[in-house]
Amino acid sequence: MTNRIAQLRKERGLSQAELAEAVDVTRQTIISLENGRYNASLLLAHKIARYFGMTIEEVFLFDEEESK
Amino acid sequence: MKKSLTVPAAAVVLGLVLFAAVLTVGDRMPQGGVGLCAGLGGALIGLGGGRLFVPLVSRGMSPEDRREMERSERDERNVAIRTHAGLDSWYCTLVALWVPFVAAMIRGETFWIALCCAVLVLHCAFYLFHLYRWTKKL
Repeated sequence: MTNRIAQLRKERGLSQAELAEAVDVTRQTIISLENGRYNASLLLAHKIARYFGMTIEEVFLFDEEESK
Repeated sequence: MKKSLTVPAAAVVLGLVLFAAVLTVGDRMPQGGVGLCAGLGGALIGLGGGRLFVPLVSRGMSPEDRREMERSERDERNVAIRTHAGLDSWYCTLVALWVPFVAAMIRGETFWIALCCAVLVLHCAFYLFHLYRWTKKL
């Protein structure tokens, strides 16, 4: 699973701390999400997608090969 | 995150009373009484003190720091870290419990063999119980 969080955040000129506060997680969680070390729960994915005004599929890119 | 501090405070007070009893009338207590009171007192102080510590520290924080601390408490990655750490420590404890068990077997100490067996069984029983509980919950 990859995601476009870092790209979307930078496009909007947001810091990791600002995004973290907006979706009610710690900055470390945003860092881990951006690095691909941690996969967000459905609830967090929904919060992040809604924050960016996008769908979950537009923010989180599911790689079928990787999940096998 | 408003939690009542009455129960942990009462636990600490009770623990201190038990310790005071050990210090003042310990020599007049029946056999095992000192160990029981000191052990129970220590456990109560530890458990109650642990629950008192965070709320008391958070009272001295700025609202921003307190919000940050509360967020980090319920942050899903932190929750996942705590869950993994808990499971890993369960496995470590299980392995560690085999050491005194095997040592007692080699030395042929029946009491310690029985005690280690009981602790191992309890350790696994708690795990199975919580597996069942969480299976029902989720």
